[in-house]
Amino acid sequence: MRQIKSGKSSPLLAMLTVLGLLIFLPMTPVSGQEENKPGWLEWGEKYWPTKPVRGGIFQAAAPYYIGVMNPNHFPVMDWVTISHLYDKLIIHDARYKPTIPWLAESWTYLDDRTMLMKLRKGVRFHDGSEFNAAGLKYQMEWILDKNNGAWSRTWLEPLEAVEVVDPHTVKWHFKRPWGAFLGTMASVPGYMISPKALKADWALSELQRLKRRMGSLKRKAEETREQVEKSSDKDEAEKGRLEQEAREAALTASEAESRLQELEKLAEGAKPLDAYPVGTGPYMLEKNSPGNYVQLTRNPDWWFGKSVGMPEMPYYDGLKVAVIPDPSVRLAGLKAGQLDLAIINPTQYKLVENDPKLKGAIGPLNWLVWLMLNQNGGPCKDIRVRKAISHAIDRKALIMGTQNGLGREASCIFPDSHWTHNPDLQPIAYDPELSKRLLAEAGYAGGLTLRGFTSNEPVSQAFAKAVMAMLEKVGIKWDCKLLGIAAMAEPFTKRDYDMAGGLYQWIFEPDHIATALYMPDGVLNYERNHNEKAMELIRRGREEMNEDRRRAIYQELERVLYENYEDVWLWYPMMVTGANARIEGVNVDMLKAYGEGYVRSHPTWFKDGSR
Amino acid sequence: MKRYIAGRLLYTFVILFLVSILVFILARLLPGDPIQAAAMINMDLANQEIIQDLRIRFGLDRPLYVQYVIWLRDFISGDWGVSLGSGEAVFDMFFKRLPVTLELFAGSVFWSCLIGFPLGILSALRRNTWLDAMVTATAITGVSIPVFWEGIVLIYLFSVVFHWLPAAGFVPFAESPLGNFTSLLMPSFVMGTHGAGLFARYIRSSLLEVLGQDYIRTARAKGLSEKAVLIGHAAKPAMIPVVTVVGLAWGYVVAGSFIVEYMFAIPGLGRMGVDAVFLRDFPVIQATLIMTAVNVLLVNLLVDLIYGCLDPRIRIQ
Repeated sequence: MRQIKSGKSSPLLAMLTVLGLLIFLPMTPVSGQEENKPGWLEWGEKYWPTKPVRGGIFQAAAPYYIGVMNPNHFPVMDWVTISHLYDKLIIHDARYKPTIPWLAESWTYLDDRTMLMKLRKGVRFHDGSEFNAAGLKYQMEWILDKNNGAWSRTWLEPLEAVEVVDPHTVKWHFKRPWGAFLGTMASVPGYMISPKALKADWALSELQRLKRRMGSLKRKAEETREQVEKSSDKDEAEKGRLEQEAREAALTASEAESRLQELEKLAEGAKPLDAYPVGTGPYMLEKNSPGNYVQLTRNPDWWFGKSVGMPEMPYYDGLKVAVIPDPSVRLAGLKAGQLDLAIINPTQYKLVENDPKLKGAIGPLNWLVWLMLNQNGGPCKDIRVRKAISHAIDRKALIMGTQNGLGREASCIFPDSHWTHNPDLQPIAYDPELSKRLLAEAGYAGGLTLRGFTSNEPVSQAFAKAVMAMLEKVGIKWDCKLLGIAAMAEPFTKRDYDMAGGLYQWIFEPDHIATALYMPDGVLNYERNHNEKAMELIRRGREEMNEDRRRAIYQELERVLYENYEDVWLWYPMMVTGANARIEGVNVDMLKAYGEGYVRSHPTWFKDGSR
Repeated sequence: MKRYIAGRLLYTFVILFLVSILVFILARLLPGDPIQAAAMINMDLANQEIIQDLRIRFGLDRPLYVQYVIWLRDFISGDWGVSLGSGEAVFDMFFKRLPVTLELFAGSVFWSCLIGFPLGILSALRRNTWLDAMVTATAITGVSIPVFWEGIVLIYLFSVVFHWLPAAGFVPFAESPLGNFTSLLMPSFVMGTHGAGLFARYIRSSLLEVLGQDYIRTARAKGLSEKAVLIGHAAKPAMIPVVTVVGLAWGYVVAGSFIVEYMFAIPGLGRMGVDAVFLRDFPVIQATLIMTAVNVLLVNLLVDLIYGCLDPRIRIQ
């Protein structure tokens, strides 16, 4: 639960692009007939007045340790690198809707439990293997296999089977209607991994697991054999039992030995996928120095560039993503010319704006800053208290004071640019007098103390202090502990709080955030609330296949949550970035119009091809 | 001497065993567990069922004493477990990062000696003069200046303003000796200035004590030059307390590198420790702490042995 920043500005959204390029966003679509090509497939002067130039190594920074590069493995900390290495089946449009075909060329629902999906032909993974239906089927089955420890497994729970129709067509079979399917395929499970690499990785894991067990299996075989040898004084029945046990143990050990040999063959020359990722993305792994940096090199066979007749894509010769944990040092690296792009705090924006060698950019983020309320006991069980808290907070002032004005007031969980956002709901009005009245009605005329916590990062601390001051004015004392991420887990899971600060990042598929926040088994719920109406709507949203009806369900969900003052939604942050002014190819209008689709299909380049 | 070393080693093992228990318990006493911590970062981490699966997968569902016994047994046999954060073998992680921290240590000791020795000697030789007062003030500043403040000022000056040095990051020596040198220049200096202040103070007092000894007066009475007295008679005995300080500095490096490596993005043991604490990556936290204890104990042992070399009286005792 960290805080972020945001903005306003111009060539900026641009940067978002680049950022997206570097960050988490997926990719774009492909051709089709020239005359009917979608708007984002525009590379003429309308897009950029000069021709792209190849060359240069793009330098970026990530705040976290780089290591796990299979997006389905735990814990994924490095979306920056992952987005360059892999392509997804489907990507999102500007309203975060999964509508753009990427590695999936097209799809048709045969009925509400079956979908036919055509896959793009001629796509190869970085290891030379072909992207096809069999590989996709293998990946989905790999994710679903509990032994493989994919944290994305439960997202695929409604999936019954994947059927290979032909090398480039699959038929998806669902256990029930699955409205969130496309959104899921535009998310973690939809990053396509080389099946060859995945199989080798699986063999390596199995081998290690079996090697760990071999010692005990052999020991058991040995011990049971010794027991048989010493059993001359035992009766026949006991001897028989021991002999049987020894036979079984010997058989198990011998089978394991054979299995070990098989696995050794399979794993020969294999490398762990987390350290050596293999996707179809625009860049391939060149060098991996865990904890230090990841260096990627241009994929000369990137399918997308070829498919649209622009084989020079992507334009950089490579990317280097260094781990620089401290945000001030990242900014210094940017200003020193060591980095080409850095995410900065809104308060640092001026430092970038005034530097002629840099371009600043501000763009909307699909994130939410909020206060979660524990209604499972305590004062927040009372709607009057929840209402009082919500009306006591001046969102505008909060954004101005802590975000340098860079943020949009939140009305509920889906950001204003999200396709399921309910435009009829206005952010809760600041009305401290109403708050005081409500508190008095609820029996807290003499004051109320709320226990809670938020992240100890500097930006969160500023936000917490501002909220505390606002609540203080209406007689609420927020006893807020500032904790590290891991330390927050304990009070949260034990519901040892009344109100806690939070940040939810990357709101794409509506079911994912709705489930996390408002279903009892959600990772951000832990039975802190129980709104039957909301839960029913979430269940319906999961199964609804029609887009309009689905939107209506989520808008209704927002209304239900809003009217019940379920939580306190504060603002939707902005992404503020600084970038090397030599970066070209960022068309803000197209970015706004096509979102992720644009980002993926319009890689940037250095002016004259060098940093 | 052999008995002495054997005794010290036995003592070291006993301490290590106690440290292992302490480290294991302390790591678990930190609030929050790694799986839920990751869920707080990756909000989409599916649902509580997955969190429980992951907990079982990493053995965090077992009783604490079982976890300890398994961990200790594996640790002694060289299996330090797998990082919950990166999936890498902790043993490999540790030994990949150790040389980076050692380089940083070597660099910081270099700066400490380069600055601290001349200042300390100068201060002792010009006792109670304005020069002595200046050196003392400089040394105290060096010891008390916050590392993060000094670091950020240097980054601003040498990276942002002059563009002479990289703001952060590390280049391995094998990749580029020059890149390696420039990437460690600032971080090692930041760590070295702290040591330099200490060195200067210790050398001053130690040298003053030695210079007041009878045999120094005898040497001077023989007509030896001040330089000969200093180098030939005072320097070696004055080094004894300095060896202690270098030993202590090693302990400081391991602790101080937590901040410096984090700030300058140096992938050494310090940052590995910070990352691990942030994520409650128990196997890494435990390995880092245990090996820190091993380092400190071994360096103490080494320092004791060096005493013997520098001062025969200690050897005989």
